[in-house]
Amino acid sequence: MTINKIPIGPFHPLLEEAEYFELKVDGETVVDIDMEIGWMHRGHEFISEMKTFTQSIYLVERICGICSTSHPLACVHAIEDIDNIEIPIRARYIRTLVGELERIHSHLLWLGLAGHFIGYDTLWMWVWKYREPVLQMFEIISGNRNHYGMMRVGGVAKDVDPVSIPDLKKNLDMLDKKMVMVANVVRDDPVLRSRLKGVGVLSHDDAVAYCATGPTSRASGVPWDVRRDEPTDAYDLVDFEVIVLQNGDVYDKMVLRVLEVIESVKIIRQCLEKLKTVQGSILNNVKEISPGEGIGIYEAPRGEVFHYIRSDGTNRPIRHKVRAPSFVNIPTYTVSCKGIPVADALITLASVDPCYCCTERSLKVVNKENDPCSIDLLKISREKTERIRREINGSK
Amino acid sequence: MDKSERFFEAMGDKISNRINKKKRFYFNVKNEDLREVVNYLFKTMGCRLSTATGMEMYHGLEILYHFSDDNTGIYFCPRVIIKDKDHPKVKSIVPIVKGAEWIEREIFDFWGIEFEDHPRMERLLALHHPQNLKEPYRFRRSSIGNSCSGESCGLKEPYRFGRES
Repeated sequence: MTINKIPIGPFHPLLEEAEYFELKVDGETVVDIDMEIGWMHRGHEFISEMKTFTQSIYLVERICGICSTSHPLACVHAIEDIDNIEIPIRARYIRTLVGELERIHSHLLWLGLAGHFIGYDTLWMWVWKYREPVLQMFEIISGNRNHYGMMRVGGVAKDVDPVSIPDLKKNLDMLDKKMVMVANVVRDDPVLRSRLKGVGVLSHDDAVAYCATGPTSRASGVPWDVRRDEPTDAYDLVDFEVIVLQNGDVYDKMVLRVLEVIESVKIIRQCLEKLKTVQGSILNNVKEISPGEGIGIYEAPRGEVFHYIRSDGTNRPIRHKVRAPSFVNIPTYTVSCKGIPVADALITLASVDPCYCCTERSLKVVNKENDPCSIDLLKISREKTERIRREINGSK
Repeated sequence: MDKSERFFEAMGDKISNRINKKKRFYFNVKNEDLREVVNYLFKTMGCRLSTATGMEMYHGLEILYHFSDDNTGIYFCPRVIIKDKDHPKVKSIVPIVKGAEWIEREIFDFWGIEFEDHPRMERLLALHHPQNLKEPYRFRRSSIGNSCSGESCGLKEPYRFGRES
């Protein structure tokens, strides 16, 4: 047996983010995989300790462009957990509404990418077309298509205007029909079935051993879902089904995400109905956070987002730990990639919907002579502008 | 008797400084008892390891494990305190929980805590760091950090943290 190594990354045209994989292959078959991360320097955990609690929410919103509700939600849950802060009922519905919209747009984004990775660009173009109305719904609710700035400790920042509810429902009706169509396509299409069935299998036992979360574990028959197991916000007030499939292959992960989108549409419909009748405040005024520690979790589209916050009674956290779902899902490649052909490796690597921005949220480059805490970006920018201006004037 | 009561009864005096909150249990565990506690949580009770948090305190380093009992939504958080800051070592739980491999490597990376019997004890995020880091990240924190009396945190343990003054 001759083992060859195929390096992929860290910067590769097929990869959206910087990561490095080393496939060890015997002929066409992958026999082992090694992964290396740490190419993106973020420093979120450290920066958060220098921000106030409210500023931290905005900071963690920028950990990931796709999970830009999940991280703030988990963060406010952690802060609220310190003092068991109650949330107004209307705010709970709004949080759930925004969270489920994010799940839809994230799953559709992944579904399109998965289609693109296996050369099925029709699926990619269809699905991304149907993702657009979701972003418009975000714009109607929050004013932004991404990074919504909705979450606050004790509630939400913006109310949903009752006038906009018919427009939201109109978009939702269209989306519902299209998603049922996409679900039928995904389940009936012979191309997808033959290409993805039995590829990159993650067994139930491996999913448990690696502590995988979200669709990655639920497609392997592990029925964990934070929304049902530890309901926060309005998840205990709405009816929905936790989708669990058994085979653990890429096909089941794809079907599971499409079915979850349909469930999310159901949840959003219930939230919008309730928002017509449930009135009242959207924000409890929280003046201070007691000393102590709190855990905040939320079922992000990719799995459980975990935030841990420790407070000493001031207005800033003294420790803010963030664990994104990709951090526990990516190591499952060690088992799911073994024994598959090289051609199936890419879609298997993509099947957990990895986000390396989330995974590497804590590292930063430190320059001993020029500490990043003391870097004045505005000053650097002005100096650069001045230098360019002088060069232009000098050339004239 | 519910699961959490059975757990605390089974562990007996291996657990100290227990803090009970709504659906959260924080408690101290000695390094030598860690694997037994983790084994009970992971294998007997079927809890899932969410993650572990490394922290630096005034008198030592701290690792707080977060085990989730997904049937009840309860979090069990064993805390191990390492007083030897110069050569911090703790037993690895990877032989029991495979999913802890990256979690422990990250803590080693940032806090310099060595996990005994870890199958691959090397840096996770800064393995090929452009500045070829020789020391754990926590030494950077202490140079700009200040100290907290600790009593205000309710934990009766002073600790140090990085923060702009």
